[in-house]
Amino acid sequence: MKDEPLKEPVRIGVFICHCGSNIAGTVNVEALAEFSGKLPGVEFSTHYVYLCSDPGQGLIKDNVKQRGLNRVVVAACSPRMHEETFRRTVKESGLNPYLLEVANIREQCSWVHMNQKEAATEKAKALVAAAVMKSLHNEPLEPLTIEVEKSVLVVGGGVAGIQASLDLADQGFKVYLVEKQPSLGGHMAQLDKTFPTLDCSSCILTPKMVEASRHENIELLVYSEVKSVGGNVGGFEVTVLRKPRFVREELCRACGLCAEKCPVRVPNEFDMGLGERKAIYIPFPQAVPLKYTIDPEHCLYHQKGVCRVCEKFCPEKAVDFDQKPVEVKLKVGAIVIATGYEPYDCSQKYEYGYGRYKNVITNLEFERMVSASGPTYGQILRPSDRKPPRRVAFLQCVGSRDVNSNKYCSRICCMASVKQAHQVKEKDPSSDVVIFYTDLRCFGKGYEEFLERVQGEGVKVVRGRVAEVLEDVSGNLRLRYENTYLGEVFEEEFDLVVLAAGLIPSDVEELRTILKLSTTPDGFLAEAHPKLRPVETFTDGIYVCGTAQGPKDIPDTVAQASAAASRASALLSKGVVTVEPITAEVDEDRCGGCGLCVQACFFNAIELEVREGMKRSKVNQVLCKGCGVCGATCPSGAIKMRHFTDEQLKSEVEAILSTVRR
Amino acid sequence: MTSYSLFLGCIVPNRYPGIESATKMVFNKLGVNLKDMLGASCCPAPGVVGSFSEQTWLTVAARNLAIAEENRADVVTLCNGCFGTLFEANNTLKNEEETRKTVNALLSKTGRIYRGNVEVHHFAKLIYEGHLDQVKRLSQSLTGLKIAVHYGCHLLRPGTLKKIDNPEKPVFVDELVRNLGAESVDYKDKHMCCGAGGGVRSSNLELALDMTKEKLENVKASQADCILNVCAFCHLQFDRGQRELAEKKGLEYNIPVVHLTQLLGLAFGLNPRLLGLQAHAISTQPFLRKITKVSVQ
Amino acid sequence: MPTSIQESRSRAVETVLDELISHSRNLLKCVQCGACTGSCPSGRRTQLRVRRLMEKVLMGFEDVLNSDDLWLCTTCYVCFDRCPRDAQPTSVIKRLRNIAVRKGFMKAAHQKVARLFCDTGHLVPINDEVRAVRKSLGLSELPPTVHSYPESLKELETILEATGFRRMTG
Repeated sequence: MKDEPLKEPVRIGVFICHCGSNIAGTVNVEALAEFSGKLPGVEFSTHYVYLCSDPGQGLIKDNVKQRGLNRVVVAACSPRMHEETFRRTVKESGLNPYLLEVANIREQCSWVHMNQKEAATEKAKALVAAAVMKSLHNEPLEPLTIEVEKSVLVVGGGVAGIQASLDLADQGFKVYLVEKQPSLGGHMAQLDKTFPTLDCSSCILTPKMVEASRHENIELLVYSEVKSVGGNVGGFEVTVLRKPRFVREELCRACGLCAEKCPVRVPNEFDMGLGERKAIYIPFPQAVPLKYTIDPEHCLYHQKGVCRVCEKFCPEKAVDFDQKPVEVKLKVGAIVIATGYEPYDCSQKYEYGYGRYKNVITNLEFERMVSASGPTYGQILRPSDRKPPRRVAFLQCVGSRDVNSNKYCSRICCMASVKQAHQVKEKDPSSDVVIFYTDLRCFGKGYEEFLERVQGEGVKVVRGRVAEVLEDVSGNLRLRYENTYLGEVFEEEFDLVVLAAGLIPSDVEELRTILKLSTTPDGFLAEAHPKLRPVETFTDGIYVCGTAQGPKDIPDTVAQASAAASRASALLSKGVVTVEPITAEVDEDRCGGCGLCVQACFFNAIELEVREGMKRSKVNQVLCKGCGVCGATCPSGAIKMRHFTDEQLKSEVEAILSTVRR
Repeated sequence: MTSYSLFLGCIVPNRYPGIESATKMVFNKLGVNLKDMLGASCCPAPGVVGSFSEQTWLTVAARNLAIAEENRADVVTLCNGCFGTLFEANNTLKNEEETRKTVNALLSKTGRIYRGNVEVHHFAKLIYEGHLDQVKRLSQSLTGLKIAVHYGCHLLRPGTLKKIDNPEKPVFVDELVRNLGAESVDYKDKHMCCGAGGGVRSSNLELALDMTKEKLENVKASQADCILNVCAFCHLQFDRGQRELAEKKGLEYNIPVVHLTQLLGLAFGLNPRLLGLQAHAISTQPFLRKITKVSVQ
Repeated sequence: MPTSIQESRSRAVETVLDELISHSRNLLKCVQCGACTGSCPSGRRTQLRVRRLMEKVLMGFEDVLNSDDLWLCTTCYVCFDRCPRDAQPTSVIKRLRNIAVRKGFMKAAHQKVARLFCDTGHLVPINDEVRAVRKSLGLSELPPTVHSYPESLKELETILEATGFRRMTG
């Protein structure tokens, strides 16, 4: 790494962007350019309507070359937006890219002071002065290059994770697909038919599950969870915990004799508790891998030390009560997060009676009921008396579009209810089916047409958010609502109420903390840019797709999974990755070897090593994120942050203070 | 000894003084000192005066709060309306500096000032949170009594402001009742309004009574021995409302109406006459007889 | 009948809306879902449609101020708590009532109650029957409220004078 200061005298160019009217509408850019021209070391200053455009970048390059500039200050939008763009511009002009300094006069100035033009201009001057003064101390830095492992970890075995895995595996990359449940499939496996085409969900998903399990490049790690992730883009070190099935996968032939003999009945989570399974079970008949699992929470042997009936009857001797959790260590170049969603807990919407009234169910429970392989073999029966309902109400936006639960639209529930309403009508055309909605959002391809068809089948749609549900002794339900088109209040009786439960993110708090991912205010994982980087996270080499990123339907999920796979594959195919050289550096002469920095570092990037009999801190340049905590902790001032040295920061602060005082 | 400023409001002292005497005796048994708020006025009623002039409502409330501040003791109220007004006004005045300045400018003409150094409590929550064990110790068991609890609106709502209990499914008064050994019965539309609030009772008695009627029908269906309330205004509406429904519509319910302070007084073995239970519009005798039977057992 | 929204609006009503919005910004976020009306115990038996009231306010219809509907709400706050946009309908209704009273739209029964408040400091003042009950319970014949302290009633009068309450509700 070369970081000796430039020998030649400093010649700074200041380039001010109008950003159309985003900046120039508030900040007086002419005055700012004039002011900048007089700052120490500034050789040239100018302003331009869109600096990020081709001609804008050309303007920078031409001036660097013609005027022999050796530092560039760009006053524009946030560096998050275009620092990379302008670093490239500076590099193409023949300078080290780290000799660029960005002053954010849009997000931190013009946008927040739109109605204070003069004050905003003064603030912009202070920000540019700070950037110029820092620029005087900027030094050329060389990025580090790392080799990329040609393998990927995919977390989550729903349709998003399966699709991403298949795409990557087909391109020849090794994929480790981790799923916490005993089978692949996720929520899509629970669905009966999918809107708007009414494809059987299992029929389109099962082949993909099987393909994933048989693919030579995919290693399935089901019933497993990610324990820890170290390392960095290109070389993540992952520890996966494989939970014991207490059944040896290589021996189990899924004959089912064990479950037949098992005496313990447990509500089946896969059937949303509507059906039962045994303590040794497969979650559903199409499970992949098709291997039995013992649930130790309910198994008599695990709980009370007696039974072992399954072991006795297993013809393959596959039951193994001595199985222990196993840690698997992986090294991967990239990670795809596809951890999906959970349904909103409708019992929190107390006025709808879910959890108290037997005949109030959720739409995922309805899916299990209407599924031919479900607990009622496809019959729609109301839970209280197992009779087919004659009047069914669907209530929209339960746990969505509601400041009391989640503000966002869950995006799938309108169509899910329209489809389910169709299925009620299909089974019993004489039944009354009503969908209560605030707005029916049927925006996808073929969705509006499907709604039209279902309305034609006699399903009624009533605009009004149901206020409350009351139950009578027969288990019938009375809905209180206003038909907002009529402006009239009704109390109407139904046999069965289906709540369109919203989507909430799966609980991935642990994983999120391990990977240092951020979330959007709704709790879903944040993408790096909502439009331009929709599958990347703020952590290099980590991608996100499916409902982990936000509520979406199957087509969008699959498209996004392929997008995530494609971004990961771009990284892996390139083979090398460069990382920012903005890292900590230890001055060995001043380091006392106290180790405080080692404890302070969030990224395990600092170690103590013994050199010439003395303990000294050593920074791993690949792991270091340049956050600066070690520098602030060091009692002897031995740690310098490249690109953010004390000298650089002080000069910025002084520049701001002296501009403001003026 | 803990002290509170007892805010009487209007209905308790001027219509149901039995609630006032019950309160004094019950809190005395609990070892809580109650200070009178000398010269306090109407809270003023949130849905009436608050509907006419928010500024008047706030300033008069500030005066009442200032009296409690002079007592150097937090306020305890016996009526959801009083609680609603004083709690909400206190909250607004504490958090909105401009409003506080305006209100204090008006209040200063009386020589008083609102400082914002007392809290406002509802008696039921205060007892539930601070004295449940004592209540259990002091009470004879009321096993066999079926009680229809009515929470009322302004105790719990708006939920995000009051944070007393979940307004869709409050439980703490039911738990209190169960701790006395009695049964808290479920009934249809349990958390519906009594019908009196918002100036509806004064301007549209027929509408108010129509809502009361619905509640009474539902309570009747539950075969409860009484309606238990924690609000003097709901108490008045259920008690007098039954008489009014009888007079106007010939509807006879005869469901005894009991304020929680009175029920606690009975559980503590106090004389029903001193709790004012003989001074209700609807006779409490059937209920009292059942209690006597209970206490004999 | 006005033929357009513009015609039905007056500058005065726009001020009403401005005043409401300055207190209850979320009013603007109403989605007209009807959860308020459906939750309303009064609306189940009257013409009160809270949702429609909100829309009328937003559209600047003047007739909300002298409409009887405004006074059918018991301020039970169920709509307030259930509103998915936190548009605070109960508060909007109370503020509309304040404006209506300022403009002189007030029911005779309410004027009577307001007068009681001005004259006695209580909305429900004492009477002879209750005086007797108080004595029999061992309580003071008059409660220790404004009823016992004429100087307190003076204080109250001072406040009501300063806020213009008596004038407004007279």
